[in-house]
Amino acid sequence: MNPFKFAWGMFFRLFPCPTKIELRRIGNPDRQSPVLVTCNFYITVRRLIRRLKGMNAWLLVADSKGVNVWCAAGGEEFNTHSVVSAIKTSGINDLVDHRKLILPSLGAPGIKAKDIANQTGWTVQWGPVRIEDIPVYLNSGQQRTEEMKRVTYNWCERLDTSIGPLFPFFLVGALGFLIFRSNLLWHYFLVATITFFFFMLTCPWLPGKRGLTKVIFLEIILAIILVVSEVFNLSYGFSIRADLIIAMLMLLVYGSELGGLTATIPSDLDPFLAKLGIGTVGNVAFAGTVRTELLNGLRELTYDRDKCVGCRNCVEVCPQGCWTGDEENRALLAKKEKCTACRACIVQCEGKAITAEPKAMPEPPSG
Amino acid sequence: MFSYIFMKILENRPRSYDRLINKASRGHIMSIKKAVVAELVAADRILDIGCGTGELTAMLAVQGATVEGFDLNAKMVAVAQEKIREENLEKTISIYQMGVEGMNGFPDSYYDAVVSTLVFSELSDAERHFALKHCARILKPHGLILIADEVVPQKKLKKVLYAIIRLPMLLATYLVCRATSHPIADLAGEISSAGFTIQKEIRSQGDSFALFVGRLEKKDNA
Repeated sequence: MNPFKFAWGMFFRLFPCPTKIELRRIGNPDRQSPVLVTCNFYITVRRLIRRLKGMNAWLLVADSKGVNVWCAAGGEEFNTHSVVSAIKTSGINDLVDHRKLILPSLGAPGIKAKDIANQTGWTVQWGPVRIEDIPVYLNSGQQRTEEMKRVTYNWCERLDTSIGPLFPFFLVGALGFLIFRSNLLWHYFLVATITFFFFMLTCPWLPGKRGLTKVIFLEIILAIILVVSEVFNLSYGFSIRADLIIAMLMLLVYGSELGGLTATIPSDLDPFLAKLGIGTVGNVAFAGTVRTELLNGLRELTYDRDKCVGCRNCVEVCPQGCWTGDEENRALLAKKEKCTACRACIVQCEGKAITAEPKAMPEPPSG
Repeated sequence: MFSYIFMKILENRPRSYDRLINKASRGHIMSIKKAVVAELVAADRILDIGCGTGELTAMLAVQGATVEGFDLNAKMVAVAQEKIREENLEKTISIYQMGVEGMNGFPDSYYDAVVSTLVFSELSDAERHFALKHCARILKPHGLILIADEVVPQKKLKKVLYAIIRLPMLLATYLVCRATSHPIADLAGEISSAGFTIQKEIRSQGDSFALFVGRLEKKDNA
């Protein structure tokens, strides 16, 4: 293990942490061994190798620009071309007799399974969402249980996914205090850390569906404490004004980043920036993307039952389990309220029955 | 120096890409393209790997060659095709939207030369190996390969200085566009391993950029 890369991948996940794009041998794979595909994010590849210890498989590490599967698929860095290129340039075609590819389920928003089949002759099978389920999945005839298809967001996963993206913001804040208010630096460290752990550990029970709505509850409580302390000039032996303000600001940062870290909470930042009129920064688009427009209510997830070919891809790839099959094996959007606009169902739908249609805007009043 | 790291940002502006990258490199990229064109006066059929907006492709066609080019970026390809129409070069230039993994579709021993500028640094090791293997296959015996790209400086001190100066630019570029380029450690070695003899090596930009001219030594079927 490379300790620098491990630390970078854990604490600076806002930036890429790439590992080599290559075909790796796990154990002693033969011509019948399964072929798994993953991203080239260092931490993911390390974890996969650790979990696959003692097994025989081919691991095709495809280009995701050093970003994890979920984020890279959402940002279209882990895409159909990444996988097609990995298949064609790695030499895997000459090493196995079968043509079945096991792809990470959370890659479904970026990788179109049908296009991979058309361009390479390999058929795609979606693997488990969590790395820890992969050994059981492989040992049970590559059958996914319902639990293996859906995303969870337990406290361990919340800490794992949030420390990396938030730590750089934490450091920027520390630098600000160091330069401008160094006497409050230790307050900042303490308050920012406590609020981080408090928010991440309690967020499932906080009211609201999105990260920002969840912090509003805490912001109101802190604001009340602040106002009461100021108005009644309450003394605790020390001033809590600075600590409360730091906590409120940090909660805003944590709340705005929470959405999008997982498939269970919809993104806040992109739709918010799009509403502010910030369309793109560099080649990162906020406005105009299907996901942002779905979240901002400019588009609506629509389903045309007549076009449904019964491929059940939507049922297989939705990380939230929004789709189910009806008695005629057609798709049914049973839990629309759980949709986080990841687009996986739209991308994988073989009959183009699931689309994100622009919402009809009300006519402006005339006269 | 180091300005090519910003090409990832400029790729989002295909219409002004050539002008901006030339400005950012202070005319360096144009001088490289002119050097490539000057090497290929006698070439009839040329393949431009990662042709972008088709600037080099057009320069080669104007010189009299029949040129095929391909690029993965659909927006760049659209601009290239528009440029070809405007300059009435449709008969001598063909542009495709694809990546290097599609090179197995090109015919054997067909091209006199293969060129590539600022593309190999964006490919994975496997993709570079694959592309070079197919370059050797599709070139005629003694065909030429010209690759210009970002490389890691050879001398240790320059290498360290390069890494230190490049890091903040790398972070800034990544924050803006979530992408960066990857200077190649031993491009000359990779070209040689594919069966080419390096005939010329022009280094510039503080040893961080190189143009390699290689000749295909012999072909298995030649």
